Order: sequence, then structure tokens, then C-alpha cells
Amino acid sequence: MTGYWGTAWKRFKHNKVALGGLWIVLFLFVIALCAPLIANNKPYIIIKNNALYFPIIIDYKEFEGVDFKKIDGYKLFPPIPYSYSEYDLNAIVVPPSSKHLLGTDEQGRDLAARMIYGTRVSIFVGFVAVFIYVTIGIIIGALAGFYGGWVDIIISRIIEIVMCFPTFFLILTILALWGQSLLNVMIVIGITGWTGIARIVRGEFFKLREQDFAVASRALGAKDWWIIFKHILPNAMAPVMVSATFGIASTILIESSLSFLGFGVQPPTPSWGDILSQSRDFIDFAWWLTLIPGFAIFITITSYNVVGEGLQDALDPKQYY
Amino acid sequence: MRYYIIKRILIIIPTFIGITFITYLMIRLAPGDFTSLRAGIEGELKAGSLSKEIFEQEKKLYGLDKPIIVGYSEWLYKTVKLDFGTSRKDGRTVAAHIIESLPITLSLNILSIVIVYIISIPLGIFSAIKKDTVIDRIVSITLFLLYSLPSFWVALLLLKYLSGGDYLNLFPLGGLYSDWFDQLNVLQKAMDVIWHLILPVVTLTYGGFAFLSRYTRATMLEVINQQYIVTARAKGLSEKKVLFVHAFRNSLIPLITLMATMLPGLLGGSVVVESIFSVPGMGMLAFESILSRDIPVIMAITSISAFLTLIGIFLGDIMYAIVDPRIRLEAQQ
Repeated sequence: MTGYWGTAWKRFKHNKVALGGLWIVLFLFVIALCAPLIANNKPYIIIKNNALYFPIIIDYKEFEGVDFKKIDGYKLFPPIPYSYSEYDLNAIVVPPSSKHLLGTDEQGRDLAARMIYGTRVSIFVGFVAVFIYVTIGIIIGALAGFYGGWVDIIISRIIEIVMCFPTFFLILTILALWGQSLLNVMIVIGITGWTGIARIVRGEFFKLREQDFAVASRALGAKDWWIIFKHILPNAMAPVMVSATFGIASTILIESSLSFLGFGVQPPTPSWGDILSQSRDFIDFAWWLTLIPGFAIFITITSYNVVGEGLQDALDPKQYY
Repeated sequence: MRYYIIKRILIIIPTFIGITFITYLMIRLAPGDFTSLRAGIEGELKAGSLSKEIFEQEKKLYGLDKPIIVGYSEWLYKTVKLDFGTSRKDGRTVAAHIIESLPITLSLNILSIVIVYIISIPLGIFSAIKKDTVIDRIVSITLFLLYSLPSFWVALLLLKYLSGGDYLNLFPLGGLYSDWFDQLNVLQKAMDVIWHLILPVVTLTYGGFAFLSRYTRATMLEVINQQYIVTARAKGLSEKKVLFVHAFRNSLIPLITLMATMLPGLLGGSVVVESIFSVPGMGMLAFESILSRDIPVIMAITSISAFLTLIGIFLGDIMYAIVDPRIRLEAQQ
């Protein structure tokens, strides 16, 4: 790979810490994607009466409502043979053991299974919310930076207003009155978080719109949208990418704070913040319910921040020369 | 300078109206209109037994029977007269709630900001002087990790390991005073409050160190490369004098405005920290008002935190203009 992004990748690769962060991020992606294959109370394979079944992929009529653990015959279970909502009232708040690798919560649900499914929520919220606000930020910032004048004055004023917002409080208010759901969390974070991106894009556009390549394109009769999207935006993307990466980290933090306060996803969907919040009732003895989800949030946020940091260094060659 | 101040004050007004209007809009446009509000008082009145009369009365009380613009204008008019209405939870005036809780949150946050500045600035200067040494790297990695620690988790861990339980019993579990507060003398009272504030303040501050000290480090390094620093060195000034008299004073300027950018986030942080440590401040009030859909309180908190933020930004701008003559001259033109 050559060109700007190629050389940036080369620089990024040299940064071992950032590369490590990227590996963790990818690892979490794989876990989120494969969650049903890692933690599931349905076996991959059952061999019973010389017949082969794949209950994890196919729903068999003969197994409907049957507890797979009680079926005779050969069974191959996923590494964590529990689903995230399967409760066992005989094993409430049990410490980690060979049966429950990370212990169980107050309803006897397997913590490992819930942690693995919780990965989905944090990644999903992080990416969708940031995608929403990056899109809004790019459009608004590009309009202000490209057209300048009164468009810029109005947009700058709006940005100033939104930046003064007590955002977290507004998010709580909206979630309380509009209903608590994953979708609302993402939308609200999305529509309140765009100011940083908009300011960056606006600044870049101011710098770039007078550059020769933009002027030349205009002289050749290009339309505004062509110059904006084809010529200027690609050159303004580097700082946006950096900011978006840090944004994913802070969005994951916001989501887990919301879930911690009881305003995030609704049960039984597991979220790390929600697990941590429930641990408050058992804080004296159930260390696994406090330490594990908190550590997961910490590692995830650190990884995204480290990747963002690495991107920043890699995409800004100025500091090398 | 006067024009500059007037200009900045004039900007405060539309911003304040913008923030409160959007919040009002969000409340009014919420789906189900009054039904979702009703959910909040379900404890007091079962949904079915809520007669139409009470329904209409409450609607009127909160101006929900009027068009949005009219309702908002009336709210704004009352707010300007500092009449925030009454809390629908306990019937006390919202102002009384605010007067009780605002000083607590304000002192908690001011204390935190001061501590962040006192620790981060020397740390940043130190890292800039020791640039690219092992110590610089250790400092920056430690601060980076602290920055990524979720505050609610840290708060839980502090409570778990330092406040009773099976581990150390160094700090109280929460609240602002001990039960025996009344029997203490003034000095003991002060010590008691400080003892209760340590864990909340730690939770509020540790994340800020990274941001501010890196910022200090970066601006210090930028200033150090300026020509006038080279000149100062060339004319034989001691390194100490170069750093603290010539370099630091100029890198101080961006740190002032930085304070303003920290302000809007404070209420959010207070919600989390105060609810964990049961500190009866604005954050707690905010959280409770949201749980009980107490609209007058929600609106009052939004407007007060917006107002304080705007005042903070305004003061930052003014201070910026005072210390940096370039801004002042630009404003005069």
C-alpha cells in the first residue's frame, strides 16, 4: 500500500501499543459477532439414536422446550454452555468455578455469557451513535466551512449552543420521557455529540477550499457538491477519523454510565454497565460482579483511546519532519 | 474592551434561550404527552383513578394546555423573575431545592477543578522538561490509564475497599455529614465534611489529570520552540528563569479557556458521583427529578447549569482578553 493512507498504516504498525489496542478491538468484534456460538445453552451437535442434530443452527421440533443438558447421547456444547437469560435459582451469586467460569449474578445467570453478550451492546452503541454524529457533523461542518458567510455565522452559533448543553442530563431527560431503549440511547448520543466533528470539518474546509485543487475544480465548472465530497472531504477525513475513534471510547463510557444509572438497555439484554449496577447490592462479597464488568469497560475504552492515539500520530506526519 | 464585554454578554442571551427551549421542546414533544408524565405520579394516584379534572388541573399548572411557544414564553418570563415553580414531588418550591443542593455541588466541583489544576499543571511542565525520558513516558501512560477508568467503577471500588465491608474502613459510605454532626464543634464539623468529601472528590478529579497535564505539556513544548525563548536563552538567562518567567506565562493562556470547556460536563459527572456516594447535591436532585418526571425541577436544573456554564465561558473569555493583548486589540477594531 502506498499513498497517504498506506504510509499512515505503515507508521501505525510501528506503534506496538496502538497495534495491541487494535487487536483487542478486533477481538471484541469477533466476540460480539460470534456471541451465540461462544455462549449458548444449545449444543453445536447432538448425536442421538444414530441421528445427527445441529440445534444451535436449526430449531428442531422434537427438541422444543427440552433442556438440552438432560438429553442423552453425545453432545458438544459451546465453551460457555449457558444463554445470557437462562437463570438457575439454585446457583445465585456463585463465585467463579469450573461450572460457571466467571460466576453467576443474583438471578443465577452465568456472568460469562452475560459479559459476552454485553460486548454486542457496547460495540453496537459505540459505532452506531458515532456514525450518526460523524454524519451530522460532516454535513454541518462542511456547509459552514465551504460556504462561509452567514451560513457559517448561523451554524457556528448553533454549535456554540449545543456545546453549552448539559449533554448527559439532556440524554437522561430524553430517555426518561421518550422511553428507554437501545435505539433511543444511540439516537440521543448521536444528535447531541456532533459538535466536535462539525468544528473540525469546518476548520479543515476553511483551509482547503482556497487550495489550488479546489479552485481548479471550480474553474472547470464542477458543482459545489462535487467539490465538497470528491475533493475537499477526503482531505479532511484524517482528523475526523481520529476524533471518531476517541468518540467511540467516550460513547461506550456514556452508554455504560446510562446503564449503570438504570437508563440504558432494558433487561434481559445484558450490558456491562447494568451488570455493574446490579453488583452494588452484593458489593461486600461478590467481587466478580464488580471487578469483571468494570475491567471489561476499562479495557475496551483504553483500547479505543490507544488506537485513536496511534491514528493521531500516524495521520499527522508533521511531527515526524 | 467594553464592546468586547457587551458583545460576549449579548451572546449569552440567545444561547441560554436556545438551550432551555430545546429542553422544553424535548419535554413537550415526548410521546404520549401527559400519559408519560402520569407514569411519574402513578405512585400517588393510580392511572385509572386520576380524574379528568385533576388531569386538566395539572396540565394547566405546567402550562401543558397551551401551545409550545406560549408555554415556553410563560416559563421563560417566570424564570427571569427567578420563579421556578413548585416541585410536583413534594410541593416545595423548586428554588428551595436548588438553594439546598447547588452550594454542595458547586463546592464539590470547584474543589475538584482546583485540585485538577494544582496537580496537572506542574505535572505537565515537568513532563515537558523531561520530554521523551522514561519518567515522561511513565507519567503519560499512568495518566492515560487513569483517563480511561470509568468513574462509576472507581467509585464502587473505593467504596468496596476503603469504606467498611471486609477491607479497610477509612471513609464513610456516603452522605455529607456523620450522624453525630450536631454535637461537633466548628473545626470538627469542617473535618467531618472533608472526610466525607474525599472519595467523591477523588472520583471527580482523577480523570481530569491526563487531559490537562497533556495540554500543559503540549503548549509548553510549543512555546519552548518559539524564537523569544531562544533569545532568552541566548542572552544568558538561567534555565529556571527561561522556563517559568518566559515560557510558562505564555503557555498559561490556553489553560484559562480550557476551564470553560470543562464546565458543561460537570453536571453529568455529578449525577453519577453524587448518586453513588449519596451526596445531596444538584446531581442527585437532577437524577431524582428525572426519575419522578418532575418537570419544573428538570427545567430549573437545565437553566441553572446552562447559566453557570455560560457565565464560566464568559469569564474565561474576559480573562483571555485581559492576559492576551492580541485578543483585546482585535476586539477593539
